[in-house]
Amino acid sequence: MSEESNARFRRTLIRVMTVQVVTLLLLWLLQKTFTPR
Amino acid sequence: MHPLNWAIVIGWLTYVVIYGIRRSRGATSIDAYLQANRSLPWWAVGLSVMATQLSAVTMIGTTGQGATDGMRFIQFYFGLPVAMVILGVTLVPFLHGSGVYTAYEYLERRFDAKTRSLTAFLFLISRGLSCGTIVAAPAVVFSAIFGWPVSWSVALIGVPAVLYTIIGGVQAVTWVDVKQMYLIVGALVAVVITLLVQIPVSPHEALQVAGAAGRLRVFDFSFSLTNTYTFWSGVIGGMFLMLSYFGTDQSQVQRYLAAKSVDEARTSLLISAYWKIPLQALVLLVGVLVFVFYQFHKQPLLFNPAQERAVMAVAPGEYAQLQARFDSSHVLFERDAIRGTALSLAARITHQPVKDVNYVIPRFVLDHMPIGLAGLFIAAVIAAAMNAISGELNSLSTTTTIDFYRRWIRSDAPDAHFLMVSRAATGLWGIFACVVATYAVNLGSLIEVVNKYGSFFYGSILGVFLLAMLPRARANGAFIGLLIGMSAVYSVWHWAPAVSFLWYNVVGAMTVFVVGALLSVFGSRDTQRTADPSRRSG
Repeated sequence: MSEESNARFRRTLIRVMTVQVVTLLLLWLLQKTFTPR
Repeated sequence: MHPLNWAIVIGWLTYVVIYGIRRSRGATSIDAYLQANRSLPWWAVGLSVMATQLSAVTMIGTTGQGATDGMRFIQFYFGLPVAMVILGVTLVPFLHGSGVYTAYEYLERRFDAKTRSLTAFLFLISRGLSCGTIVAAPAVVFSAIFGWPVSWSVALIGVPAVLYTIIGGVQAVTWVDVKQMYLIVGALVAVVITLLVQIPVSPHEALQVAGAAGRLRVFDFSFSLTNTYTFWSGVIGGMFLMLSYFGTDQSQVQRYLAAKSVDEARTSLLISAYWKIPLQALVLLVGVLVFVFYQFHKQPLLFNPAQERAVMAVAPGEYAQLQARFDSSHVLFERDAIRGTALSLAARITHQPVKDVNYVIPRFVLDHMPIGLAGLFIAAVIAAAMNAISGELNSLSTTTTIDFYRRWIRSDAPDAHFLMVSRAATGLWGIFACVVATYAVNLGSLIEVVNKYGSFFYGSILGVFLLAMLPRARANGAFIGLLIGMSAVYSVWHWAPAVSFLWYNVVGAMTVFVVGALLSVFGSRDTQRTADPSRRSG
C-alpha cells in the first residue's frame, strides 16, 4: 500500500471518529436535557 | 391508498427496473457480473453496503421500536465504527489483495477445501432463509394494511429485485442501491418534517414529552449479559457481530471486492461507519416523534388493521369497551396496560403472533401523511426490501457458482457458461426467497429457530478468518476449531438461554481462535497454505 493511500485512510479515519464522537455527544445531550432523573 | 400514491409506487418500481437494466450494460463476463470488473467507486460501494443492511425491517420495525421503546436500540450499533476500522486494516487488504470472488474461496487457499465448503454452506443456508424473511416482514404488513394476499406483496417486492439482479449482477445491484438510498433518506426526512408540522407543540416541547415518557433514554451503562441494549453489549458484542457481518458475510464482502482498489474498498467501509449511527438515530427519532404525535391525536388501540377487524368481528362489545377506556385515559401507564389487554385479546382471537410494533409507522403514514408523501414512504419501504434482497441474491449466486459449482462440479467451462450458471442461480435463489416469504407467516417458530441458528455460527466463522491471519495456524486446527466454536455457542444457548445473542458472536469467535491456535501449535502438522494474490483458482 502506498504512503499516499495510507495517509488518505488516516484522514478518513479521523473524520469518521470525529463524526461518531459528535453524534454520541449529541445523543448524550438529548438524554441529559430531556429525560427527568 | 390514494391513486396518486399508487402511481408514485408503481412509477418508482418501473424506474428502478429500467435503471437497473440500463446499468447492467457490459455485464457479459463472470468478472463483470460478480465483481463489476473491480471498477466501482468507493462512494457507490459505501452507499450500497449501507443499503444492503438497511432493510424494510429498519424502515417499519426500527421506527416502530422508537415509538414503543425509545432510542436505546441505537446502542446496538456502537461497535460498528470500531469494527469497520479493524476490518479496514486487517481483512479488507487480505481479501481484496488475494483476488478472490468470495470470502470462503480465500479460506481454501489459506486452509483447505473442507473449511471453505463448510463456511460457504453455512452462509447459503442462513442467507437463503434470511432473504425470505427480509421480504416476508414488509409483505405481511402490506397484506394486513391493504387487505390483499401475502403472495401479491411478495411479488411486488420480489419480482423487480430478482429481475434486475439476474440481468445486471453486482453492477446493477450497486447502482440501484445508490438511487434507492436517496429515496429512503428523502422519505425519512419527509416523515420528520410532516411530524414536526402536525405536532401541535414546538419541537422543544415535543422532545420534553418524549423525554418524560423515557423515549429519549439512549445510554444504559449497566453490564448485563442478558440485556441486548446496553452500552457494553453494543460496544463489545456489537463489534464482534459487525466484524462477522462485514468481514465474513459474502453479501457485504462482495461489495468491497468490487471496489477499484484496496484503498477504495476500505474507504467504502468507513463510509458505512460515518453514517450508520446518525442514520439509525434519525430512524429511531421518527418513531419517537410518532409516539409524541399520538399523545395529541387519536391513537388506534390496535395498529394492525387486519387484527383490529378480526377482533371487532368476534368481540365487538369487549373491544369497544377497551377503546372507550383507552380514549378517556391520559395516564401513559394505564394506556399501555389497556393496549396490552387489547393485544392479548387479538392474539387469543386470531391465533397469530401479535407484532403490533411493525404497524405503527405504516398506519401513521397512511392515515396522516399528505397524499404523495405517503406513496413516497411506501415506495421507500419497498426500495429498502429490494436493496437488501438484491444484494443477498447476488452473493448467494456467487457462492453457489464459485464455491460449489466451479469448485466441485465443473471447473474448466468457458466464461459464458459460468455467467449463465450465475444468472440461473440468482433466479433460483430468488424463487426460493419468495416461496419462503410467502409461507413465512405460517412458519413463525421455524423462522425464529433459523435466525437463532444463524447466530450460532456467525462468530465462529469470524474466528476462522482471525485464525487465517496467524502464520502458524493450520487447516485441521481451523476446521476442528470451527466445529468446537459452534458447539460452544450451542452450549451457551442451551445452558444459559437468557444470555443475549450478541454475546454468541464473542463466544464463537474467541473459542475458534483459541482452540484453532492451540491445535495448530500442539496438533499434528498438516499442510500450511498461503494466499497467492496472482492465483484465481476454483
